[in-house]
Amino acid sequence: MRKRYSKEDVLKISKDLGVEFIHLQFTDIFGVMKNVAITIEQLEKALNNEIMFDGSSIDGFVRIEESDMYLRPDPSTFVIFPWATQVREARLICDIYDKNGNPFEGCPRNALKRVLKEAEEMGYKFNVGPECEFFLFYTDEKGNPSLVTHDNAGYFDLAPVDLGESARRDMVLTLKDMGFEIEASHHEVAPGQHEIDFKYDDALMTADNIMTFKMVVRIIAQRHGLHATFMPKPIAGINGSGMHTNMSLATLDGKNVFYDENDELGLSKVAYNFLGGLIKHSRAFTAITNPTVNSYKRLVPGYEAPVYVAWSASNRSPLIRVPAKRGNSTRLELRSPDPSANPYLALATILKAGLDGIKKEIEPPTPVNGNIYNMSGKERKEQGILSLPSNIYEAVKELSNDEIIKEALGKHIYDRFVDAIELEWKEYITRVTQWEIDKYLTKF
Amino acid sequence: MIRQGIIVVVSSNDKIRNIISGLLKKRGYSIYEASDGASAIRLARSLKPHLVLMDFNLVGAGAYNTARIIEDDNLSSVIFITSNPNKNFIELLKNMTIYAYITIPINPSQLYQIVEFSLINSSKIKELKIKVDKLENKLRARKKIEKAKGIIMRMYNISEDEAYTYMRKKSMDRCITMEQLAEEILKDKN
Repeated sequence: MRKRYSKEDVLKISKDLGVEFIHLQFTDIFGVMKNVAITIEQLEKALNNEIMFDGSSIDGFVRIEESDMYLRPDPSTFVIFPWATQVREARLICDIYDKNGNPFEGCPRNALKRVLKEAEEMGYKFNVGPECEFFLFYTDEKGNPSLVTHDNAGYFDLAPVDLGESARRDMVLTLKDMGFEIEASHHEVAPGQHEIDFKYDDALMTADNIMTFKMVVRIIAQRHGLHATFMPKPIAGINGSGMHTNMSLATLDGKNVFYDENDELGLSKVAYNFLGGLIKHSRAFTAITNPTVNSYKRLVPGYEAPVYVAWSASNRSPLIRVPAKRGNSTRLELRSPDPSANPYLALATILKAGLDGIKKEIEPPTPVNGNIYNMSGKERKEQGILSLPSNIYEAVKELSNDEIIKEALGKHIYDRFVDAIELEWKEYITRVTQWEIDKYLTKF
Repeated sequence: MIRQGIIVVVSSNDKIRNIISGLLKKRGYSIYEASDGASAIRLARSLKPHLVLMDFNLVGAGAYNTARIIEDDNLSSVIFITSNPNKNFIELLKNMTIYAYITIPINPSQLYQIVEFSLINSSKIKELKIKVDKLENKLRARKKIEKAKGIIMRMYNISEDEAYTYMRKKSMDRCITMEQLAEEILKDKN
């Protein structure tokens, strides 16, 4: 739950507990957390929204001539780092404003707030609960990350203790200290792969939580001599890391509006239309929920990741699943997002898609209850089942054709995002990979 | 004489590591080696060694940061190895559990002496730490029980002894500690 801290509370707590450093955090377009560190003496100035930074030094932000940006800390995100640091440190998550005092349109957190406001005007609150997976790898003798996991590291560390397990336990305890409610934490299917689920909350809080979560996982892994990665598919041939996203809409006073006891599946008209919107826009928002070249190596058949645009209440393979719980826990689970996504932008575009479904009363297609992977291409075509984009280039093309999803991002973010992806794609396709060498060097 | 003690020797320099490990093995200690900070942490976590000897000039996260993690998380005590004990180094040394270091080039008798002293000191400090923690916990519990007792006394208008007996009986009936019971009473009051 979000704490109701005021500016004065933050100042008082910092003083009482002897905080010396405060990290002002924000997230760039590509989902990377940025930090401006200030000392306690500057905290009041920061809380008065007077801290400036040079936006042109941040990826995808602005050009040189419009580079003065202001950070507006959100006092409710104040938290003290529970791990041992040389002096006591805390953080505040910030929104970015331009020098005229307007929300900066290149700030992902502002983008999510815009769409959340649209939902609020329709009478809805957006609740989201993520299931975030990641890998813990060993580092080599130079301290660089490797692809070796505890499960196959027997040649070096003679440990009877599973270092990954003990690191994960430490992560859970640290997150709890920071106010997270942890729902589940376990070793995943692949060697070295772990999952930690925390309780759902309103979308803005959840997006903040995902960023905090990634930071904590990385720091604690480091304290255990391990390297944590949220790369979607680090090793070919084993499961990749996803970030299944559970979501529901509630009325402003907190009643779930996805539930209808009179419906055969227990879903309301709002839920069906939201689902319809998700299905309709899914090929477009995939560029945002799966934003790297590597993301699409996870979205292939055979590794529990979705490939086809379909939904079901009974089987686990399609893009959208309706988990069995009903009543106030009625929700939809989108299974495509991966943890390399910028959580603010991912949630903004997903919500926008759902709201569009409600506004236009889009009906979802009939659910697919069989295993889609066993169908032939012809059968899928007959049932009208499309695939998700098969690479980031195709995904961006889909995005460029969808005005609704583009609106959720705003022009500034959309343009910067597309430019960056095109550059990355160009870099990628001009590489000659080891696979090609192995395949063709001796053959031709 | 076979000496007891698990020691992790950390240096990115193979030669230094081999010399120190060799000397200590001869004296009967169990020696494990690491060549970088991260693997030193992994070894410390899985072995909980009695002592870590660490070259101050280390590849990766840096010796001081690595040592801080090992000591802050109570994995072991760290003794640095350095050829340059300058002012800055001595300043950092003050933050370590044991105020001692080993100099390069290695002088075997200095090495043996420091390792032996450090093992003894480190185990004494560890014992004291455990004792202090225990006392602190006890004190914290006492404070809570006192507060809760006050609440019970006022609530039922009974004497101090009666309130204490009442709480002891309740906690025994429910198989919880008096501290847990006191916490519940304090929580209810809030």
